[in-house]
Amino acid sequence: MMKTFAKAMVLVLGLWAALATQVVAQEKTLVMAMSATPKGFDPDIWVPGQIEAAVNLYEGLTRYGTRAGANGKLEVDPSKIEPHLADSWTVSPDGKTYLFKLKRNVRSPYGNELTAQDIVWTYEKSAVQKRTGQFMRTAARIDKVEAVSKYEVRYTLSDANRIFLGALTLHLPAIFDSVEAKKHATPEDPYATKWLALNTAGFGPYHLQTLQGGQQAVFVVNPNYAFKKPYYTKMIWREVPSPATRVALIRTGQVQYAEQIPFQQLTALRADNSVKVESVPGFGGATVRMNPRYPPFDKVKVRQAVAYATDYAAIGEAVFLGQGTRSRSMLNSPIAGAVNAYKYETDYNKAKQLLAEAGYPNGVDVTLEYSTNWWWEEPLVLQMQASLAKAGIRVTPKRIPSTEMLARRTINVWTVPFLTHLTSSFVPDPSYNMFLTAHCRGSSNVNANCDAAMDKLIDASVVERDQKRWLALLEQAQNLQADSATFVETFLPGTHEVFAACMKGYVWKPHNRLVWKDLSCGS
Amino acid sequence: MGETGARIAKFLLMRVAVSVPVILGIVFLTFMLIRLGGQDPVAMLAGPMADEAMLSALRAQLQLDQPMLLQFGHYMLRLAQGDLGVSWQGGIPVWGEILHLFPATLELVLLSVGLATLIGVPIGMRAATHPNGWFDQLSRFGSLAGFSMPTYWMGLMAILVFFYILRWAPPPMGRLSIEVVAPTVVTGSILVDCILEGNWQALGSALAHLALPVACFTLLAAAPMIKQSRAILIEIMNSDYVRYARANGFSKTTIRKMALRNAATPLLTFLGSELTSLLAAAALVEYIFSLSGLGQWGLNAILLGDFAVVQGYVLTLALFSVFIFMVIDLIVMLLEPRR
Amino acid sequence: MTPAASPTARHWLAYPLGLARRSPTFVVGLVIVLFFLLLAVFAPLIAPFNPTQSFSYEVLQAPGGRFFLGSDGNGMDVFSRVIYGSRYAFGIAIPAGLIMIGIGMPLGLLAGYKGGWLDEVLLRTLDVLRAFPTIILALAVVAATGQSLVSMVVVIGLLDSPIFARVVRAEVLTLRSSTFVKAAIAVGNPAWRVMFVHILPNAILGATAQLPMRMAWAVRISATLAFIGVGIQAPTPEWGAMIRQGAEYVITGEWWAALFPGLALMTLVLGFNLLGDGLTDLLDPKRRGVGK
Repeated sequence: MMKTFAKAMVLVLGLWAALATQVVAQEKTLVMAMSATPKGFDPDIWVPGQIEAAVNLYEGLTRYGTRAGANGKLEVDPSKIEPHLADSWTVSPDGKTYLFKLKRNVRSPYGNELTAQDIVWTYEKSAVQKRTGQFMRTAARIDKVEAVSKYEVRYTLSDANRIFLGALTLHLPAIFDSVEAKKHATPEDPYATKWLALNTAGFGPYHLQTLQGGQQAVFVVNPNYAFKKPYYTKMIWREVPSPATRVALIRTGQVQYAEQIPFQQLTALRADNSVKVESVPGFGGATVRMNPRYPPFDKVKVRQAVAYATDYAAIGEAVFLGQGTRSRSMLNSPIAGAVNAYKYETDYNKAKQLLAEAGYPNGVDVTLEYSTNWWWEEPLVLQMQASLAKAGIRVTPKRIPSTEMLARRTINVWTVPFLTHLTSSFVPDPSYNMFLTAHCRGSSNVNANCDAAMDKLIDASVVERDQKRWLALLEQAQNLQADSATFVETFLPGTHEVFAACMKGYVWKPHNRLVWKDLSCGS
Repeated sequence: MGETGARIAKFLLMRVAVSVPVILGIVFLTFMLIRLGGQDPVAMLAGPMADEAMLSALRAQLQLDQPMLLQFGHYMLRLAQGDLGVSWQGGIPVWGEILHLFPATLELVLLSVGLATLIGVPIGMRAATHPNGWFDQLSRFGSLAGFSMPTYWMGLMAILVFFYILRWAPPPMGRLSIEVVAPTVVTGSILVDCILEGNWQALGSALAHLALPVACFTLLAAAPMIKQSRAILIEIMNSDYVRYARANGFSKTTIRKMALRNAATPLLTFLGSELTSLLAAAALVEYIFSLSGLGQWGLNAILLGDFAVVQGYVLTLALFSVFIFMVIDLIVMLLEPRR
Repeated sequence: MTPAASPTARHWLAYPLGLARRSPTFVVGLVIVLFFLLLAVFAPLIAPFNPTQSFSYEVLQAPGGRFFLGSDGNGMDVFSRVIYGSRYAFGIAIPAGLIMIGIGMPLGLLAGYKGGWLDEVLLRTLDVLRAFPTIILALAVVAATGQSLVSMVVVIGLLDSPIFARVVRAEVLTLRSSTFVKAAIAVGNPAWRVMFVHILPNAILGATAQLPMRMAWAVRISATLAFIGVGIQAPTPEWGAMIRQGAEYVITGEWWAALFPGLALMTLVLGFNLLGDGLTDLLDPKRRGVGK
């Protein structure tokens, strides 16, 4: 009985394995192996997977221009901002009032046309929800948004600033098809947030078709998309939680894109002909942060000692496998105005000397806390432990749950003395980045970086309209930050996207997420 | 007939009465445990660009700043109305997701336990009738090896060998291949729905995708089955009843059938406890093979501090366990009218 | 009472060989466990490198060459880490076992002998544990009480205690109705004396076989928890954590980081199981099988 059953099982296995390993016909469907299905689509409410989807569903009034990069490939030019959903705009002499003329005949998958009313509704919704959309609004100093006519919108800013136009390239506050959204509004939920969490209604190139939580999400092209039709008409977002499995899938051609591939795999994948790895340095930097509110980090000499006691070469080799770019400052290219402010190199004697001067001749014991938000956190922490020990700084690594890390590093909470963090943002604007990361009111300030002089510099740079003065301010700010040594700048992990070998058209965007509409395969 | 009916009714009533405090205990324990940790789900909900004001507002909105017993009271009240709460990742109702995901876990576990029984009991039987022989030693060694192997490790190696190197198994990427049309959802179990609909292509694909995970899981489940059936059968073979039968010259096959019938009760009881412990172990298998079952979801929720989901997950497992025990004990009771 | 020296004095080797014939599983299990115990005790002498020393420039080297079993993703020697891993395995199994005995033994003893409400509570707890997915319980508790070795040991020990208590209780129940205990009571021994002098030693004997099995479970579940990412801090050379890290590299051909800790884990757990199984064989004549 057992034998027959075994034989039957083998037969079934063989037969259906043959069926199952048919190569998926590549007719304009892109299958993606992602770590998890998106848990929501409202750009105002962050949930895992939301941003990766939203950048393809919602588009902004402006977009970044492109230029030919170093190796002739197309790349984003952060200094060029072009019209997108807006046709053109005019700005008042004091820089505080912008009048946008919307493109005509831009329609959502539901057939409704983009009007100024949609924009106004978007900002009203963000104001009610008081989440990320509202933060962007504050950062860009947007005071009022008014519909002047059917296709004209007026933005009134509280201060003229450089962030504004760049912020409008983003997918949030998302421009919704308010006509469709309002159909799902209820008295308790006037902005249809419940419906918008699990459905999409935008003017972007793609649109949610089905969502099976935990399994997959299917997106289809917006038939009314106002710009060049994307090559891929269907995107299948498949949940594959195990990174090892994702690698297996892309290497065997079962999927055409695999998300979040461990760094160590990349070398092997580059050598594999069936796979294409696109690498971009990006401008996000892996840093170790020190909170000056907790001893011994309240003494600048201790912080500088840590910077000197870091073995940058070893980190570059062991953690980033020689493929990372060394971070030279709080800001890195392609952000405009980045300078080489971070002058620290490995020097254990200097570190020990500084420690002694600060009152710790026999070294000091610290705990370095990290989480699992980024793949490089643990290897980096272990390298820090090994290297700082040589200067007498005895590090105890402590891994904490990501939710705990998120809670404790939040602005105004700031209870993590020594932690790892990735400096990054959506907008490649230097003032915006510095505001986010190093300003006392910046929401990505995770280590209580509150220095009055620094804040003043950053605020000034946000509203400075003269180019030369602006660059000077940026340089000053970066040097000040490097001297205070609250960040240990290591490397830029870069962004590495893994595709099937035939994939073309990938262009890195500053929001650091994959844009589907650019991709194509084959001829 | 009426008497059996009355016995069944009495049994069920007593069982339910006894189970209620057990379930309550489990719910309470889970509730307290997950809140004791340093996990603060509010930060996860608020997202990366939140500030302290946003966090406190969210905390108050979710009643997380109230004393724990009070929170438990609220939870029980809602539970009594059938409201299991929502997942904090996207506001998805827990109850709906459970109905959606549990059949996948059940498929994996029931198939594996079924196969394990079909394989394990005959082996245990053979080992029991030829004790200390080479078969016995080998099977004992084999079953102990099955006990010792970490399932997740075995799953990884299986993917490496059977999918990546040999290309025999389909990609561990879910329950169905992409080009296959999924059956209309009736029970939530793909296998059953395919059969109901006559969708043979999807059935084949689903079976293929289940092959490796079921194989790994069956090996895990077979080990205790072999050991336990051997132990039970040895004891039965040594019992006076069987010795008497043997002395009276009954044939080997008849004796074996007798032994099996007597073994049914303890085996069934053991099966019950196996099912419940395997249900929890399924989470890791689901994770590695991306089977999108309840375990995968629950495991993720524990690590992220998604309280309502964890509570729903544990409650489902506990209720199911109690249910299984009840059913098995009922069967046992009906099989043995002597008691 | 030693018997008079028999006319056929036996060779000193006869005893272990006789043991091996009676229960090869016991001997194999014992050898395995002792092997790993030796590894654990003499780790600093056997391991070629410090297990947490990172060779930053030699990440993921294949076995052979400088690193006998290769190096892992952090540039640490796999061989040394596997050896030190046995320290953590025993470091968890032994204290957990002690806790289990310390709590489970008296509990089982009292519950079996006295009965009454204590017995009821024990049985109900066992019911709860039966219906509760234990791994989830362990996961939640360790996540809740802090990610440390100590909390893991305590949790595992606590979870094991009721199960151990049940075995002890069963032994006690059988013993309580045995003749010699009844005689002891009849003669007028106080309850505590009966429990400790008459019942306890015999109960221990019966429950001893459970001990290695429980320890096997302790090692397994601690590795599983570490694999999920709970309980062990990097860079501790614990086998489950090593498998977790190594799993990522298996697909791209760097198989050694996950294979060797997995093998070690499997072998030690197998060893414990064989030991326990063999002990059951030796101590419980009924289990040795039915005569042909």
